[in-house]
Amino acid sequence: MDSETGAGPEEISDDISDVTLLDIPVLIIFTALLLIVALQFFTRYVLNDSLGWTEEIARYFLIMLGFVGAIICVCRDSHIRLEFLYHYLPILWVKPLLLAVALTGAGFWGYAGWLGIELALRTNANMASVNVPKSYVYYIVSGSCFVMALYALKNFMARRRQSREDVAAETRNPSVETM
Amino acid sequence: MALLLLLVLLGVFLALGVPVAVSLGLSSLVYILIEGLPDVLLIHRMIGGIDSFPLLAIPFFILAGYLMNTGGITTRIFAFARACFGWLPGGLGHVNIGASVIFAGMSGTAVADAGGLGSVEIKAMRDAGYDADFSVGVTAASSIIGPIIPPSLPLVIYGVMASVSIGELFVAGIVPGLLMSLSLVVMVFYYARRRGYPRDHRVDFCRIWVTFRGALLPLLTPVIVVGGIVTGVFTPTEAAIAAVFYALFLGLIVYRSLNWRHLVRVSMDTIETSASILMIVGAAAVFAWILTANQVAVLLGDSLLGLSENRYVLLLIMMALVLVIGLFMETIAAITILVPVLMPVVVAVGIDPVHFGILLILNLMLGLLTPPVGMVLFVLSKVSGVGFERCVRATIPFLVPLVAVLLLLVFVPQTVLWIPDMLYR
Repeated sequence: MDSETGAGPEEISDDISDVTLLDIPVLIIFTALLLIVALQFFTRYVLNDSLGWTEEIARYFLIMLGFVGAIICVCRDSHIRLEFLYHYLPILWVKPLLLAVALTGAGFWGYAGWLGIELALRTNANMASVNVPKSYVYYIVSGSCFVMALYALKNFMARRRQSREDVAAETRNPSVETM
Repeated sequence: MALLLLLVLLGVFLALGVPVAVSLGLSSLVYILIEGLPDVLLIHRMIGGIDSFPLLAIPFFILAGYLMNTGGITTRIFAFARACFGWLPGGLGHVNIGASVIFAGMSGTAVADAGGLGSVEIKAMRDAGYDADFSVGVTAASSIIGPIIPPSLPLVIYGVMASVSIGELFVAGIVPGLLMSLSLVVMVFYYARRRGYPRDHRVDFCRIWVTFRGALLPLLTPVIVVGGIVTGVFTPTEAAIAAVFYALFLGLIVYRSLNWRHLVRVSMDTIETSASILMIVGAAAVFAWILTANQVAVLLGDSLLGLSENRYVLLLIMMALVLVIGLFMETIAAITILVPVLMPVVVAVGIDPVHFGILLILNLMLGLLTPPVGMVLFVLSKVSGVGFERCVRATIPFLVPLVAVLLLLVFVPQTVLWIPDMLYR
């Protein structure tokens, strides 16, 4: 390929084989967030009168994006974590340690989900700009935490079936997809 | 006592490879339970930590960065930079730096720049006969200019955690980013002389004009983003959404290089990256709240102040600490943990928070170029096929000019504060 012209080697992939119907909710949240912020931008610059509700609602969508999106991270085991220890550990230790990490995650997200319900039940207020109870956002947060806990358990079960050598080999070639 | 447990647990969880968000959240939860505080605080503070308008810039800058890192755009910018700087001795080295500076005005992360533009740069240098070490070294070193010149994800996160104006931080990064590129240019001249690297071609204004026309539309992105923020027309969040729509305009209408499958793919990747960052920021909010409520930073500040009252000595001590942490910790995690700890010290000795922010981020970026967790090197090793250890050795010499710039910025705060002072104060 001539590096002066034409398409480069790193085109965006259009491989979406790993995207399933389950990913539709988070794609909707993401698109909605984009449109809401765009709407705010448009009303502020073009109409010179920004819509009051856009900022608040955008923040709620950002919260939902964070928690619902984090399900993908658990599912693909791509939550940011420090991996350097695994490069120096004896192979025998890697699998038990990763199993413990998966269980820790499951426990934490499960507990956080439970706290989310508690928070939702205690919250009676509506959102400031729209007549929607704030607790709806908290229920979505809480639901996402439970789903994360389930996926973490699923990862745990899948890991348990892998051989120690396979697990160790996987961690020594870390994926570098995230930041 | 519970506080010590909190810090020890956090360290142990992080070291064992528990996800950063879980490490922060779980150690904070243990503290909350021991102290008999209502545990619902955990989720409440986590949500509160994400509930911030400036943080909205994160998904949009990530999305814009992904959209801009397509072949059509990176190669056009590279061709333009090549026509502009290729005639210098060590030609493609300078081209590499120039392209990274232009690209820094579009994208906010070093790792994305290394993976997209970096692969174009390394390939062109290898094709022109440069050795692998030099190619990887320049590419790695120049990729960390990305998060210093606006837009910048790490600066957004620092601004939110430290309650500092993100607009000021963004404009403050311009001069340091240019100084970094200048220091790398000097380094390339040095190598070119010693190893006799060729000029790429003679000065050719016609070629500059042709490639400029080809790259004109992508080149407008930094003008829109940086120009919009500097003139105060855009807030950073608005600049991010403007960048997204401009990138979509280029990809869907001008170059027609995107279809709906690309959009779904890019959206999913953006969501995944954004969510992992947001969860850390949320969990760090709980941790930061505990530290603040206990005045930990005041204690730390007193002990630091006991060492010296000279603010430059203190800055150097803090920079050394940050450098060590940056070696082991991922950037976002390091920012969210370090800011609540160090910020009160910074304020107490009268260091400008904007000045400190730029120093902190530049310093943490150096950690991306060093083992054991040098993410930029992992990416470059992957896209260039050069082994990781060799990438490490190739990059080490380029740390010298970058550290020199860091020291210059430490001792001459005006280099950082000049533009924000002029525009905002």
